Amino acid sequence: MTEIRKIAVIGSGVMGMGIAAQCANAGYKVDLLDIVPEGATDRDAVAKGAIKKALKTDPAPFMHKSRARYVTPCNLEDHLDRLADVDWIIEVIVERADIKQGLYKQLAAVARPDAIITSNTSTIPLSILTDGMDPARAKRFAITHFFNPPRYMQLLELVTTDATDADVVDELRRVCDVALGKKVIDCQDTPGFIANRLGSLLLQAASNATADHGLSIEQADALAGRHFGFPSTGIFKLMDLVGLDLGPYVSKSLYDNVNQGDLFREEYRESELLDKMIAEGYTGRKGKGGWYRINREGGGRVKEVRDLKTGEYRPVEKPEGAALAVSKKGARAVFKAGDHLADAAWCYMSKYFVYAAEHALDIAQSIFDVDEAMKTGYGLKWGPFELMDVVGAAWVAGKLAEEGRSVPPLLQQVGEGTFYKVEDGERFFMLGDGSYQAIVRPEGVLLLSDIKRRSEPVLRSSAASVWDLGDGVLCFEFTTYANSLDDSVMAILNNTIALIEKDEAWRALVIHNEGRNFSVGANLGIALFASNIAAWPQVQGGIKGGQDTFMKLRFSGFPVVSAPSGVAVGGGCEILMHSDAVQAHAETYTGLVEVGVGVLPGWGGCKEMIRRHSANKRSARGPMPALVKAFELIGTGQVAKSAMEAQRDMLIINEADSITFNKERVLYDAKQRALSMVEGYEPPEEATFRLPGATGRAAIDMALHDFHLKGMATDHDMTVGRAVGQVLTGEDTDVTEELTERDLLKLEQKYFIKMLKEPKSLARMEYMLNTNKPLRN
Amino acid sequence: MPVTDGYNAPLKDMKFVLHELWDASELSTYEGYEDASPDLINAMLDEAAKFTKNELLPLNQTGDREGCVLENGVVRTPTGFKEAYDKYCENGFTSLSTDPKYGGTGLPHTLEFMIQEMVVSTNMAFGMYPGLSHGCYNAIYLHGTEEQKDQYLPKLNSGEWSGTMCLTEPHCGTDLGLIKTKAEPKGDGSFALTGQKIFISAGEHDLTENIVHLVLAKLPDAPEGVKGISLFLVPKFLPTAENTPGQRNGVRCNAIEEKMGIHGNATCQLFFDGAIGWMVGQPNKGLAAMFTMMNAARLGVGMQGLGIGEIAFQSAFDYARNRDQGRSLGGTQSPDRAADSILVHPDVRRMLLRMKANNEGGRALAAWIALEIDKAVKHSDPQVRQDADDFVQLMTPIIKSYMTDAGSEAANLGVQTMGGHGYIQEWGMEQLIRDARIAQIYEGTNGIQALDLAGRKLGAHFGRYLRSFFHPVSAFIEANVSNPDAVEFVPDLAKTFGWLQQASGQIAQSGMKDAEEVGAASSDYLRLFALTALAYLWCEMALKAKAALAEGKGDAAFYEAKVKTARFFYKRMLPEAQAMFKMISAGKETIMALDEEAFSFAA
Repeated sequence: MTEIRKIAVIGSGVMGMGIAAQCANAGYKVDLLDIVPEGATDRDAVAKGAIKKALKTDPAPFMHKSRARYVTPCNLEDHLDRLADVDWIIEVIVERADIKQGLYKQLAAVARPDAIITSNTSTIPLSILTDGMDPARAKRFAITHFFNPPRYMQLLELVTTDATDADVVDELRRVCDVALGKKVIDCQDTPGFIANRLGSLLLQAASNATADHGLSIEQADALAGRHFGFPSTGIFKLMDLVGLDLGPYVSKSLYDNVNQGDLFREEYRESELLDKMIAEGYTGRKGKGGWYRINREGGGRVKEVRDLKTGEYRPVEKPEGAALAVSKKGARAVFKAGDHLADAAWCYMSKYFVYAAEHALDIAQSIFDVDEAMKTGYGLKWGPFELMDVVGAAWVAGKLAEEGRSVPPLLQQVGEGTFYKVEDGERFFMLGDGSYQAIVRPEGVLLLSDIKRRSEPVLRSSAASVWDLGDGVLCFEFTTYANSLDDSVMAILNNTIALIEKDEAWRALVIHNEGRNFSVGANLGIALFASNIAAWPQVQGGIKGGQDTFMKLRFSGFPVVSAPSGVAVGGGCEILMHSDAVQAHAETYTGLVEVGVGVLPGWGGCKEMIRRHSANKRSARGPMPALVKAFELIGTGQVAKSAMEAQRDMLIINEADSITFNKERVLYDAKQRALSMVEGYEPPEEATFRLPGATGRAAIDMALHDFHLKGMATDHDMTVGRAVGQVLTGEDTDVTEELTERDLLKLEQKYFIKMLKEPKSLARMEYMLNTNKPLRN
Repeated sequence: MPVTDGYNAPLKDMKFVLHELWDASELSTYEGYEDASPDLINAMLDEAAKFTKNELLPLNQTGDREGCVLENGVVRTPTGFKEAYDKYCENGFTSLSTDPKYGGTGLPHTLEFMIQEMVVSTNMAFGMYPGLSHGCYNAIYLHGTEEQKDQYLPKLNSGEWSGTMCLTEPHCGTDLGLIKTKAEPKGDGSFALTGQKIFISAGEHDLTENIVHLVLAKLPDAPEGVKGISLFLVPKFLPTAENTPGQRNGVRCNAIEEKMGIHGNATCQLFFDGAIGWMVGQPNKGLAAMFTMMNAARLGVGMQGLGIGEIAFQSAFDYARNRDQGRSLGGTQSPDRAADSILVHPDVRRMLLRMKANNEGGRALAAWIALEIDKAVKHSDPQVRQDADDFVQLMTPIIKSYMTDAGSEAANLGVQTMGGHGYIQEWGMEQLIRDARIAQIYEGTNGIQALDLAGRKLGAHFGRYLRSFFHPVSAFIEANVSNPDAVEFVPDLAKTFGWLQQASGQIAQSGMKDAEEVGAASSDYLRLFALTALAYLWCEMALKAKAALAEGKGDAAFYEAKVKTARFFYKRMLPEAQAMFKMISAGKETIMALDEEAFSFAA
């Protein structure tokens, strides 16, 4: 039984480096090996260069810059012996079976017999990779297929065989799932596995239909929209994002490896335009542009797109068509719209449905795994089978039959029914024989969506719901737009706190949701409208109401654990800072961004930053270093790019808190954390502060002035910055006076309102609401 | 003799709002307005007062009786209109605020709005001829090509040519997306327009040698609805190389409407039969181009309400003080006469004071908007221009709607004050009711104005337009809570302002879920808004008047009257605001509850 403690990654290309970085993020020591460049003085230069580049890449492969030190750059000539210490070797080299097999021979000579070796191949079957391999090694060999970029893409395809040692399968699944945070999907050993197989067919069929039905790229992308559960990128924008040069390679390889008569072979087409674009460096976002580009000629910013008739760029036009006009009514309405767009949509989506239904059970263990893989691999809302349920599986089958096309057995099997069903709150998927199997979550996975299906909320309003997680733990879920916060959220949060205080059945509270954003903070639209009509008492009440609620959260008689994932900014960050503990998903992006909209943290964010940085033992002595740090974080509206940054650099997450890598495990971990705190829980003691007042402000004003001179701060940045400085230094206080948390909250209120009376702050809010971007006025 | 002949322009009040309530001297700090000193503005007002009284007022009642006549496709305006129009042009009134580059005088719009009030008071029907030319000028000025501007603007400025706005067709008024008039490209850059337009004010007349029609029409293959409308310039006579009227174009007037009022103005049906025209602005963007002149036009219509309100008030007051009937309820006032004047009666005073308070409050509001219009055009700081424009956008539907309602009410109260003499033609008062009535309807009915305010302006940019009104008023209340001079007004103002805030919040919130809620609240909301604005202005005016009295400067009687009228407004008019708030808060339910079949059971 091998426990993976040390990892080696062979090949330091974008994928290899990304995988190495994610292992380092999870706390593993990683050797990164690559070739020795010819005539190099530094024989580790390739791996070293990769690490250096990774530190500059955005989005960053590393969750914290210190994690780069976990990766040791090595080379394949001098350091093979180091592999003797390694538990898991991940091969990420060129996609050629012969070269890979050669490498495995080298590895076999040095690796421990119980070491696990896996390949990150996306196209070569396991049976070929292990061809000629010592059977003892082959039993400990598997494919772990990461998606690019490995830190951010949730999907991992795991390919093993019946011969693979059970402990290898278990350990790989544990490490990839729990430690690296991936959604691990078991795949059969077939070409392209699940995501590339179905995804390539979908993209190819969509491209073909676009050309054959005479659609523009804008029309094609709008057509592949939300009604199908696709992300906003559509088809061509997605290709630009992924990089155009990779697609043809994967497609060609898939073409070579699938059977004669496979639908993909019929669809496969080489595109002269695409080849020409790639040859000229138009490889998508990473290159000079792709299907789309931003033309900056003459200082302008014109969005352009390739005209499929001429192959040249032209300005982007607003796509129109009957199918698009009805798209809000759903997928079936699009198919039935009757124009050439509708025909194109049905043309490629029907192929995608047929292909998924034909092959699901050859390539995966279940339709559920197919859907999960497609959702996590492409950011879809529904996998193909879920989407067929949405459209109506019988309707799809009927239309196929009407067109004289063969209906795949799975679609025949489902008949008038659905691929998924819910009974007594449990969700089932259909097996090949037409029977249904319940979806069972792995140990340690707890999904709010499962709980919501099974039960009624304990409390509910239009702004939030409260769910029973079992064992006396309640879960507070925001249900507002983008999980923004307003009076109505505070009202039900207050009710929840009162309920737990009053009713002995409840012992702890977890704040969590499954939205893309944990919370974007205060509802700006409401705040802006109220400010525009000068409803100052109402605004003031909103600030005070939020402060009171968060203070109650902090000093309530039971543990509160926030469990964020995604964006948690402004008020969303202040909730974290008023919780007893934070069980964050590793991909949590939090910070106090209020200055970006011309105000300052008003729900205790300033207070908490002072408290946390003042208490930081690592910070220099005296009150000023902590205040300067807090000022820097608030004054620049900094957002952590990972939970790790929020914890280590910003102190938004406490040192004692741990981070969960797998999004689906966050709620479980949070619940356990809360339960562990119940016994003997004591609320924290209220903090007191000694702040420097005017003397400290001089230092902050000087720093601000310096920013201004360097052109880094606008006039209005100065105004807002000075207001932040007033709060952080305690306004008219001095070090002889002891201030309470409440005193600081009053200052936050005062300066928040003051900023709302600044037209330029209101202009910032309006701009943010309109464009989702900050205005630097 | 018509009682209206006693009218005199309210110069004292105009100067008060321009120079004491507001500070019109700021105008002369804007580039291009250097000459517009308070002295010049006052002198111009004095001149205009004389001109309108001497030249336009005598034609008001005769014009109404004689009306316009259509003969052989030519409209003959009432006797004297042509001569008066020529003098109007000679005096430079047609080019008062237009660009000197095209022969304009380049004076502030503020001055023009004030003069407009006098023109309307003295002869609304006449005033519409140059008024429409001005709208036409604006559209060409903002959207025309250089060539179009050079060709048409000097002619419109001099008044040699006049203009129209051709929007309405037999089957479409408010919903312009339905228009049918076609514009076929002729290949040489010009278009052939074919279709029928109705209700075209000044569409045909004998005042000018040429008429420039601005026509909304659809290009072949234009998109459906309002996104497929383009704007075209179609002259009655095609200009020659020397820019004189040449060949007669294919636009004909085949009928003029018989209408309730403004008889001196020709309201025409126009037929375009392959008429040659040129596009103004971009293809399919005609509505936007037309709307730039609609905003100015709507403010102009608001001034019509004020103009009618003023002459109605003056005439009714003149009648009341000279009409002796019965005795005062409080005991005889004029024992030497057979009866007291009816001015002693509280109810007569109530009517006259309502008129007076609305007129003076409305004039203050109009001056505020006018000054902001000039600021939005001329101020050097783009942010200031934007803020000013926000305010104009916001207040346009309010002044159009509230002031035309008030004008109509004033004309009715005027007739009421005069009893049977108001009802007969001889005294000139009933004409005002008939003339005023159209102002509530055209340029977007008052119902449409209310929808524009509650449905578009209120929520636009998350309430940014509202800020331009709410912030200064909020700051004013804050600054005056403990001002002893203001204590008789500020609590009521604050209360009303609070209702307006609440109503705004309610509409913004309910409107997001249900647009019918906005529709149900809109007219009452507009009225509540207008009453709040007037309350603010009456408080400001009362404070200025009290300050002047304290300093002992100027005409004490005038200032005392201001303070007393302010008190009347607060006690006898402002309470209506609470009713408006209650009605808004009631929501749409009772408005929407009745089924179509249940509206009437008449067999």
